[in-house]
Amino acid sequence: RLLCSVSNQTSSVLQHNKRNSPELSLRSLLDMGFTEYQAEQLYDSISRMKGRNAAKHVLSTLSALFVLGLNPTTVHKLLDKCPELCAVKEMQLQQRITQLRRLGFVEGSLQRTVSHYPKILTVPIKSVKSVVQFLREKCLFTTQQVAEILRDSPAVVLEDLDQLEYKFQYVYFRMGVKQAEMVKFRLFRFSLDDLRCRHTFLERRGLYQTPDKKGQTTMINPKLDRILNVDEGTFIADVAQASPEEYDVFQKLLAREWKDEEFEHGSIESY
Amino acid sequence: GKWGYELVGPHLLSPGEAVLRAATHPKQPPTRMALQHFDATYSAQLGALWPSIRVALLSERKYGALLNHFAHNLDVEELQARGCKDFISNGEAFMFPASADHRSEFRPEEDSSSVSTVNHGGGSQQPSSLRLSPNIRCLVFPRGDVTRFRPARPDKFGLLSYYLLDAASILPCLALDVQESHTVLDLCAAPGGKALALLQTQSVSECPALSRSSSNSIQSGFLCANDSSVSRTSRLKRVLHSYVPKALLTDDKLRITSFDGTIWGEIERNSFDRVSSGHPIIFILLLWRHTNLIPASLQVLVDVPCNTDRHSLMENDNNIFSRSRIGERRSLPKLQAELLLAGILAACPGGDVLYSTCTLSANQNQAVVQQAVQLAEEQHGIQLQVISLCPLTQMFSNTFHFAPNLHLGEMVIPHLAANFGPIYLCKLRRLT
Ligand SMILES: C[S@@+](CC[C@H](N)C(=O)[O-])C[C@H]1O[C@@H](n2cnc3c(N)ncnc32)[C@H](O)[C@@H]1O
Repeated sequence: RLLCSVSNQTSSVLQHNKRNSPELSLRSLLDMGFTEYQAEQLYDSISRMKGRNAAKHVLSTLSALFVLGLNPTTVHKLLDKCPELCAVKEMQLQQRITQLRRLGFVEGSLQRTVSHYPKILTVPIKSVKSVVQFLREKCLFTTQQVAEILRDSPAVVLEDLDQLEYKFQYVYFRMGVKQAEMVKFRLFRFSLDDLRCRHTFLERRGLYQTPDKKGQTTMINPKLDRILNVDEGTFIADVAQASPEEYDVFQKLLAREWKDEEFEHGSIESY
Repeated sequence: GKWGYELVGPHLLSPGEAVLRAATHPKQPPTRMALQHFDATYSAQLGALWPSIRVALLSERKYGALLNHFAHNLDVEELQARGCKDFISNGEAFMFPASADHRSEFRPEEDSSSVSTVNHGGGSQQPSSLRLSPNIRCLVFPRGDVTRFRPARPDKFGLLSYYLLDAASILPCLALDVQESHTVLDLCAAPGGKALALLQTQSVSECPALSRSSSNSIQSGFLCANDSSVSRTSRLKRVLHSYVPKALLTDDKLRITSFDGTIWGEIERNSFDRVSSGHPIIFILLLWRHTNLIPASLQVLVDVPCNTDRHSLMENDNNIFSRSRIGERRSLPKLQAELLLAGILAACPGGDVLYSTCTLSANQNQAVVQQAVQLAEEQHGIQLQVISLCPLTQMFSNTFHFAPNLHLGEMVIPHLAANFGPIYLCKLRRLT
């Protein structure tokens, strides 16, 4: 059934192409299987995009997404979230999809990732490559781990490499956490600031220790999972055993410490 | 790198190796030594309170602005507009309608006077109510507000409008309950925050010349501010000069000295003439010379050198936990007890002595008081009474967190939302 509908939509896109009409019509969107509402919304947002190119690429983008097996509702949602995708050239889109497949995205996971994080298809091949290379060579993640990171936290491809490096080093050295756990507990889904704030809070309360030269600590550190994958209330009450008031003030103070540090570094560099 | 080692490069250090590299830094910095020491001693001493105090100590502290009522204070209104409040006068307002959840931190009142080992008073020990000088005012930002103070500005006479200090360090001054006409000895006074607070009790309107000519009794207050360190004493002078009008810095109002506070012992041993038994002659002679009188009673502030917990955790310079100062640190309790005993001897019968530190260490707080009280009795036959500071802690429970169940004295413990302290204080009254 799925295959059938896919080919239906694809063919109507192709037909449209054949008719060689420069503009995408509301009619053709309806033909592709979008509901009236979806078609109108899509049409609206596409018309608002400037330049003829944008409109031209809409077709190839739609076609590529249908070929992936995504249904009109998913496609509509995804383009709503990430209209930039309509401006990506056909070639590039194809290359990016191919690259993701090579990086270990199997069918199903590729579709899931694209629908949750369509932005991944707007990132140039080169950038993805350098992030992957960084993860493998600087952080020593295995190929399989890298694939898992990309699947769980696709936004990693858009992160600044210096930030990424700092985050990795922070978790590896300061927190003494190994690669396998970083992957398992989806480290890269979290912002460095949130992570540092929670960890620093625990550390200053005496509840987290950097392992010594033998990798040992005098206490049992809470697992990365308990720090990252819990809501703030649980983190404060159960993991840090503190009050919300304390954490609230702490966040303010820490943000200011970071700002002061940055300022200090800045003023040293400018001399 | 950020943590004292480098990761950048083709190969990765294991966390172990990395720390090893970090460890090739010659020595553990004193701040780390201090933290290890505190973790060991304070977690045992303070139990479940320690994590909360620890994170507060390791984060930015809060200040209070001691208002200088000698200056024409233009900044005050602006500060008040920004939400700053005088915690002292507001404390009084809070005294009766106490908030239930803070109240619960306090021990019952009977407890506070049950220090049997040191309570030789015999008589009833009603916690005396406080008569706070309306001139001591200290602005703080509300609980949880982390706004910083700007440095104070001078008024048109060059006097600064406020002095920034740990708001909790005003408490020893308030607890001493100094009135305008009192004679006060500040045994360890530099750099001068507390001396400045004590001087606020005096008023400018009072002309020193008048009170001098008046009679045989000391009408206006007299402060003797002493500190053994000469360099710190000159800092104290600078501070006082930027806050107090010259008219009040005259010899008959204020003396700044630089003696070793423990010197009474030597003087006694060298058997100088004594004014009366047990008086530390140097201070008495000073008072004699400058006031032509031996005061009826003397209030003594003994704000001793200590671990200075916050400084030790945050600054490597001049840190008492540096290797070279181990001996000095170990002998702190002895020095503290000697200074307190000197203060006790200086206070005449009826006089009050206030012992204070800025450490959480029970060894430098309660233990020192106990030891000094014992020495005073055994060696000098002096009887002391511990004065309950309950009225004070109750009055200010909305501003500070006080340690619960201290068997002797009171202690402000740091908390992120009210990051003042640590300040320990214990008040003794000399009965004989
Ligand atoms: C905690 S500080 C006093 C702070 C001061 N009361 C204030 O509020 O600004 C302790 C002081 O004791 C002084 N000191 C150390 N040993 C002393 C001694 N034997 N006699 C007198 N002062 C001493 C130090 O120089 C230091 O200035």
